Amino acid sequence: MPSKKTMGREYLLRILSFCLSVSQKGVDPFEVEVQKLLESIRKYLPEWKLPEDFNLDAETLNRISLIVELQGKWLKHLSSSLYIDPLLIELKLKILEPEALVQIFSKCWRPIVEMEQLVPKRVKEAIDYWNLLPPIEERWPELEVRNIDLNHTTMESLRELGIISDISFEDVLKKTWKELKKASNKRGVPFWNFINTASYSETVRRAYLASFLVTYGYAKLEINPLEEEIILIPLKEQRNLNSNGQGVSIPLSIDRETWERMNKE
Amino acid sequence: MQSAGYARKVKKAVQMLLFKRHRKPGVKGWELKRSLGRDYMKIIKMLNSRLDDLGLRVKIVYEGPEPQKSPKEGEIERARFFVTLRNPSASVDTLSGWRVDEIAALTAAIAYITSKQGKAPRKDVEKLLREKFPKWRVEMSLNQYIKKGYMNEDDNRTLYIGWRSRAEIDQKMLLNLLLREDIN
Repeated sequence: MPSKKTMGREYLLRILSFCLSVSQKGVDPFEVEVQKLLESIRKYLPEWKLPEDFNLDAETLNRISLIVELQGKWLKHLSSSLYIDPLLIELKLKILEPEALVQIFSKCWRPIVEMEQLVPKRVKEAIDYWNLLPPIEERWPELEVRNIDLNHTTMESLRELGIISDISFEDVLKKTWKELKKASNKRGVPFWNFINTASYSETVRRAYLASFLVTYGYAKLEINPLEEEIILIPLKEQRNLNSNGQGVSIPLSIDRETWERMNKE
Repeated sequence: MQSAGYARKVKKAVQMLLFKRHRKPGVKGWELKRSLGRDYMKIIKMLNSRLDDLGLRVKIVYEGPEPQKSPKEGEIERARFFVTLRNPSASVDTLSGWRVDEIAALTAAIAYITSKQGKAPRKDVEKLLREKFPKWRVEMSLNQYIKKGYMNEDDNRTLYIGWRSRAEIDQKMLLNLLLREDIN
């Protein structure tokens, strides 16, 4: 069971963090019950003996006083003509079409008039800069590359190095196609679920293969823009690529940060 | 003799205000004072009446909230002076260079932040915009608005109304128009 002193310190730290978030996030400062907080702080005051505790107490009081200041500003804003219920504005923004918003914007927008100019002084400075600038070869010397004599290698060595493989790319693609068929239900399978594995390099490899499955007509992608869901749907038969068909390129970024976040979730 | 001096100063003021001297457009009050002299506000008023004929105006953006009474000298010196259109053009054609969805997202973001007393967590603004636009576009657009000065972002990912919005957008009118807009 923690002592009253420890509980008091934790309580003050919680108040500090709460007050800080209220002032930073712009939420209604009247959410803070100032009087109640002050009474609670007073309750712990007899416990404090160390200077650090008094410091913490003073800092908490200071934060609460800033909340009171914020409450004053909030009231001033409420009484000003600029105050309109934020919820009402949010509701309107959600309902109005983009075109209506543009019409509204054009009625209250007075763009800044600004021009660019080149004066003789700047031209002179530019000429001087050009004349003083050393050639690029001097500033960025070329990398020194050692000359190495050409040599022979064998197919075995290339296989060992992973440069060539006995399995053709088409075989790998067909294997992935089978996996996709197995992993899919009637609707297909979410793209990220299909490619995601415990290893980052394998995830990138599967994304690469999935992109070829779509390009070569083994599967198709369906994008649900509302839910931002990308579904990979395997086709029963490989679809012949028709040169008349207009393909759409969809860039999907898969950086390590996204992959780590996906796996945490 | 004196009027010739004023005319010369008005010409100098218009050059300072219209031609970009820094990365941000506009000029600080103290810069005008240094170039035009102590009576620089008189020169600005003269320039403002000349700009009126061209449908332009001098807009003063103060560092903090707009002073309720007549501003103090220090406040004017720290303020930034711009030339903007005098009246909103009320025509979508003048919004050249912007995509419709970019302007719509900007309008929504500015209106939302204004309604929240000028600051709102970025994630809340993103959540609102994502109701209509894909995630990648929302992120890209917000970064673009920050770069252009329509909004600022601090280390806590809170968005604030930026200097350009304060110079260009009549925020009060924006909120009023939004409320008046009929929803079909």
